[in-house]
Amino acid sequence: MEYLLQQSMNALSLGGEYALLALGLAIVFSVMGLVNFAHGDMITFGGYTMFLVAAGLGIANPALLLPVGVLSVVLFAMFLEKVAFKPVRGAPPTTGMLTAFGVSILIQNVALIFVGTRAKSVPTMDFLISNVTIGSVRIPIVQIFETAVTFIAIALLVVFLRRTTIGMAMRAAAKDVSTVRLMGVRADRVIATAFAISGFLAGLATVFVLARRGAVDPFMGFTPVLKAFVAAVIGGFGSLPGAVIGGLVLGVAEVMMQVVLPESMAGFRDAFIFTAVGVLLLVRPQGILGERPDFGEKS
Amino acid sequence: MTIERRALVGAMALGLCIAVAGLLVWGFAAPYHQRLFFTFLVNLIAVVGLQVFMGNSDITHFGHVGFMGISAYVTAILATPVAVKRSALATAPFGVNTFELTPLVAVVVAILITLAVAFLVGLMMVRQAGVAATIATLAFLVIVHVVVMNWVDLTRGPRAFYGIPPKATIGWAVATAFGAIVLARAFRDSKWGLQLRASSEDVAAASAVGVPIRKLRFAAWMLSALIMAVAGALFTLFVGTISPKSFYFDLTFLTIAMLILGGMHSVTGAVVGCVIVTVGVETMRFLESGPAVAGMKLPEMFGLTGFFLGLVIVLSMAFRPSGLLGADEIDDIWHRRRLRKAGVEVS
Repeated sequence: MEYLLQQSMNALSLGGEYALLALGLAIVFSVMGLVNFAHGDMITFGGYTMFLVAAGLGIANPALLLPVGVLSVVLFAMFLEKVAFKPVRGAPPTTGMLTAFGVSILIQNVALIFVGTRAKSVPTMDFLISNVTIGSVRIPIVQIFETAVTFIAIALLVVFLRRTTIGMAMRAAAKDVSTVRLMGVRADRVIATAFAISGFLAGLATVFVLARRGAVDPFMGFTPVLKAFVAAVIGGFGSLPGAVIGGLVLGVAEVMMQVVLPESMAGFRDAFIFTAVGVLLLVRPQGILGERPDFGEKS
Repeated sequence: MTIERRALVGAMALGLCIAVAGLLVWGFAAPYHQRLFFTFLVNLIAVVGLQVFMGNSDITHFGHVGFMGISAYVTAILATPVAVKRSALATAPFGVNTFELTPLVAVVVAILITLAVAFLVGLMMVRQAGVAATIATLAFLVIVHVVVMNWVDLTRGPRAFYGIPPKATIGWAVATAFGAIVLARAFRDSKWGLQLRASSEDVAAASAVGVPIRKLRFAAWMLSALIMAVAGALFTLFVGTISPKSFYFDLTFLTIAMLILGGMHSVTGAVVGCVIVTVGVETMRFLESGPAVAGMKLPEMFGLTGFFLGLVIVLSMAFRPSGLLGADEIDDIWHRRRLRKAGVEVS
């Protein structure tokens, strides 16, 4: 029972992290059709910012450090949008995707050139990895935090998308951008907001990725975001509820694999999971909530 | 598969350039440059193989290097002498350390196994819309990498796999590159290639005139995997030592940058991009090591090569998204020039 509780907490928090990232990808995709391969590098950027602030300026107080980290990712996301993705707005999806891919390679290598390959530890996250004991169950604080933050963030996002004008414009833009512009909403604002939200969610995820790893390196963003991509595909690419569901499904699947697989096979975990996703997509190409891919055929 | 005469001439011309370059290198170049040229040819074959799928179906493919990896490892496992395998693969499953195949047979088996894997992945691929398909290819690359890294008994895991007989020669590589170019052109300019390209521009219209989109996409996928498999086997039999890192992101980035710069809709573009990026990357490698230029000692800058590749991709996308050659082949350019000389207005 305790074991079950521990593992489900594990699954929820991991799934929450994937959901945060997948949501960020889905928001940008739904508004401007961009598959943002540079999403992972936002995490890297946030990680390095926190590292620099903590090590360089000596600010170790998490109440200050964490908001700075999250804010830096938001600003970085908006910066990327202005500099890198504006020129390819309205271009075919392949162009945008490859641009993002190139930007991602650029950021990784800039990090390599200027800060080196070696991982640098960020010590101030210690309080996050300590455990709390509830009854006889020990749960790392980070998991409770992560699960709670994920659900609060999603709830806030829902309110934002349903209650504010710009939120409604974003939902409308996901369906039909030109009509939204005809209604007098500026495309610039909608897209900038989408990136800001995506950066905010990625910033939250950064804190948790960092707490798990305890160190930053130039490629730290890749694996979490690959998982987020897969989560988004599981849920149906471009669907916001799909991204959340996909993230949670993936988190649960990963933790279950960890429990089921014997020690000697543990390294194969991701291979098994991705293969399983492949089989799922064979049966249901559109993912859980996506729209069926159109090949112009009679169904 | 019928192929227009003009396309055939274009493909032959490209192939001949490679062959002449190969002869020159074989005859005059130093061993280091021979190795460099061989690597260039392997990359060229890979880029052409990538073009077959990406250029015709317009689906970004990040998993092509995975096929190279499968083929390379199967070749290595089968062709390495028993004497080496007895110590290097002491605990190998399926008794692979009890026999060895001649390199040619090993390559054939490797290609068949790669095609079998491509078949299974392809079944899923052709049902996906563009974005999901691309992410699936990326996931495929990761699967291959994870399996090679972790199946230590069979692949030596992250450690280098050594002792593979280095039987491949520049001649073989030139011949293969020639064949890959002709095959890619033949597919691109065949009825099927044209139909597939049409479907990538307008699914509904192509489907309405009866284009079997999924079948054609599957055909392109398999042909691409075939060319990648040959490239992987060739690479293995030349270098003699491989590791999982040889078939992961570095090679993926490199080949994608090559294809994008040249123009993914054109086989000629693939070749041109490959040449330019190879020159660029070698220059960057030189600068990266912190050389002394004109009496000045430059700092070591690890990561410069990757930075260059990223820059190539981003700048191409910003200024020339369809690549240097767009959808033009070498014979299209000749043809237009001839028409213009004859006084015909061409766009």
